[in-house]
Amino acid sequence: MVLQKADLVVIGAGPAGVAAAIKAKEMGVNNVIIMERAEQLGGLLHQCIHNGFGLQYFKEDLTGPEYAYNFIEKAKGLGIKFLLETMALDISPKREITAVSNKEGIINLHPKAIILAMGCRERTRGAINIPGTRPAGIFTAGVAQRFVNVEGFIPGKKVVILGSGDVGMIMARRLTLEGVKVEAMVEILPYVGGLIRNEVQCIHDFNIPLFLEHTVVDVHGTERVKAVTIAKIDKDRNPIYKTKRKIECDTLLLSVGLIPENELSLKAGIKLDPVTGGPIVDETMQTNVSGIFAAGNVVHVHDLVDYVSFEGELAGSNAANYILSQALFPKMKINLKAGEGIRYIVPSTISGQKKATLYMRVLKPDRDVVVKVGDDFLRKHLPIVKPSEMLKIIIPLSKLKMLKDETKELTISCTKGRK
Amino acid sequence: MDIKQTDVIIIGAGIAGTAIARELSQYEIDVILMEKEADVSFGSTKASTAIIHPGLPVADAPLKTKLILDGNRLFKQLANELDVTFKKTGELTIAKNENELQELKEMKRQADAIKIPEVEVINRKKLQSMEPNITKEAIAALSIPTAGIALPFEITIALAENASQNGVRILLNTEVTDISRGADNQSLLVKTACGYIKTRFVINAAGLFADQIAAMLNADDFSISPHKGEEYLLDKRVGSIVNQPILTVASPWVLVMPTVDGNIILGTTYTEVNNKADSATTLDGFRKIINDAKDLIPIISPKDIIRSFAGLRAMNTHTSDYIIEASKKEPKLINVVLGSPGITSAPAVAKMVVEILSDQGLKLAKKPNFNPQREKMLKFSELSDEERKALIAKDPRYGHVVCRCETVTEGEIVEAIRRGARTVDGVKYRTRAGMGRCQGGFCGPRVIEILARELNIPVTEITKKGKNSQSLLFKSKELLKKGGKDNNGSSKS
Repeated sequence: MVLQKADLVVIGAGPAGVAAAIKAKEMGVNNVIIMERAEQLGGLLHQCIHNGFGLQYFKEDLTGPEYAYNFIEKAKGLGIKFLLETMALDISPKREITAVSNKEGIINLHPKAIILAMGCRERTRGAINIPGTRPAGIFTAGVAQRFVNVEGFIPGKKVVILGSGDVGMIMARRLTLEGVKVEAMVEILPYVGGLIRNEVQCIHDFNIPLFLEHTVVDVHGTERVKAVTIAKIDKDRNPIYKTKRKIECDTLLLSVGLIPENELSLKAGIKLDPVTGGPIVDETMQTNVSGIFAAGNVVHVHDLVDYVSFEGELAGSNAANYILSQALFPKMKINLKAGEGIRYIVPSTISGQKKATLYMRVLKPDRDVVVKVGDDFLRKHLPIVKPSEMLKIIIPLSKLKMLKDETKELTISCTKGRK
Repeated sequence: MDIKQTDVIIIGAGIAGTAIARELSQYEIDVILMEKEADVSFGSTKASTAIIHPGLPVADAPLKTKLILDGNRLFKQLANELDVTFKKTGELTIAKNENELQELKEMKRQADAIKIPEVEVINRKKLQSMEPNITKEAIAALSIPTAGIALPFEITIALAENASQNGVRILLNTEVTDISRGADNQSLLVKTACGYIKTRFVINAAGLFADQIAAMLNADDFSISPHKGEEYLLDKRVGSIVNQPILTVASPWVLVMPTVDGNIILGTTYTEVNNKADSATTLDGFRKIINDAKDLIPIISPKDIIRSFAGLRAMNTHTSDYIIEASKKEPKLINVVLGSPGITSAPAVAKMVVEILSDQGLKLAKKPNFNPQREKMLKFSELSDEERKALIAKDPRYGHVVCRCETVTEGEIVEAIRRGARTVDGVKYRTRAGMGRCQGGFCGPRVIEILARELNIPVTEITKKGKNSQSLLFKSKELLKKGGKDNNGSSKS
């Protein structure tokens, strides 16, 4: 295809990408194109038919498709161009995009800015090394969700779920409602991996047997899964074999984590954070490559889609600024460092010249903690924290103005305490 | 099935059976290749490392030694004819101390004696320049440039395709349940679920089950002892941390090697198991392999593993050598029992089997129209943008990327099905769809859908690897209609 005229190309039409495109368009960017490899807009939201979306963004309890619909309609109304069933194959550090689609063939684009919004993928069996045979009937929870909610198929009638991520818990409930017996949810950690509300509404309310500090140590069956063996683990995460128990089932679902999908980012020369697996971004969501921004689960895996949309808007507005007037970009002066109790912080750098919104995750669940920014620059007491729930800390501009000029780094920590 | 009579039945469509079928397809005889699984290479073959070994002498195994050496020399031409990937990478065997170095020198003498070219004991400095990630403990290595790597399923599928192109009939999902002697004493009767076929010769290339096949004619003077080998595959993103198979003089089974597709394989174990279906990976195997691999290449991390698998080597208990001969009790049965290694020697084994058949009185006249060339599967990921444009213009399905990790298009999947893939694994082995880091997470459902559409069968009948390996067991609401007694949930949500 001939070189398309594009000011901004957004890769991925999930919640981050669509929100980013809308914001950029609203701010006056002319040619905004969203490139999406699937056949429809909205990313994985269309398979999330449960509720619980939109409480932050719309102050309303919506299903995934409803949440996506609001954004998609708006994007269509604004005249944003969509390239569906189009897969970006390559992005160069100079922002040259090569993509392919069955309608257009090979597409080359060279926009003024790019927003990466490819989302994440599920961790698989290989990545966590579950021993045993390799029969049919082992799925990641998200794949099972697609089969059940979009395609109309039920993987099996007796299911064990390894891991207790949100999709796994949602699927435990969903499958139970479809007449499937969920025999067990098995979690290696001493606490559930997903949101508290999902633990209550999907696991406890449906009497799903929950095995904490357990893992799957063997898979049985050559053609189809026949059973799995689970065992308790010791403090070094080694299975305690005398606690082994075999559970007959025909399906094993895995809900063992999500990984930001950054193969394209690497091709563009973008630096990734080894902890999040996503691009290192500054407060504008810009990566280390000029004019390439990133937002949503491609940067770090979020707990709520609402925050993904907010982050998309942030990237969209900054990409618009970049395209329309590069002079508006302040210099990033202050590095943010994850201190005690904090796993990571996004963004990694701030300018100190405008309000900073920080998203972070703690290392372990705890009660009565104090999140501290800098030595004693800002502190916030929290009655309860969980690694599954993102923390959001806002540093107002008035506070940032109090920082000394030579401040180059702020360490954020989360420690026991009430004040 | 209508076939009542044939000249040769080959039992088992692994590397041995398909290589023999392809070799026989150049002659004016009628050949049937039977496989109990849903596709070729679905047995031990698929899990082979597919190192094309250089042919160093194997203790107490003169036949094996000769056929590996011959096979290595034949491999390049075979790979060219079948248009499959074969990379002559060479291999390195590491020594960590003076005793091991002496062993390397002895291996070099043996290699020189049978004229394996360019074999060299290299010093630490040269080793470091060839393999920068090698352990600091390595003091020297034996370099054998004639070794190489291939893909076990690619070569097996290609052999089967070329055999079929030249007239061999391949019967999949066809298990031999009995063999008896014909009333004329000149033939054998092979029984399957579809009835009897009369044949002049049976070639027993049944791998793990070769002893059971031989026992059907009471020609059993060996049994098969499965020896499990576990392997762990690393993500392509780790890059070429080794450039060739890295072996150690300390153990014949430990290795770190690149695949022709750019992954790294860590292997292997060698554990006798008593069950021919036990290809489970184990925690002990995993730990051993990670330790062994890190002893060779310290930067290896288990975090990069995307897939683990195990295969069973069909070792016979009768001899440490191959068994390739007309059975003494029933000369119309030719036993071909390889075990490990199998891929390297296959082209030479096939030629030897032809000689045995000829010695046993089978007249072999060359077909005038034998075509040794097999057309390669197009791989979108390997094409230039210009080639891609032309291909998509001709068939837009090549513009629809289905497997995102390996960039496999719908066009390739449809072509794989046209060439005989009937299962999700069959598509995977022909196209790489599902072999990447997400292991079929995104493309698995799409591949099932395309298989169902192209084969015009319900989605719930599509299997992972044949038999009862259906991926999706029920339609939505089906379990509720059956009474829903299993439903232990309340209506609260």
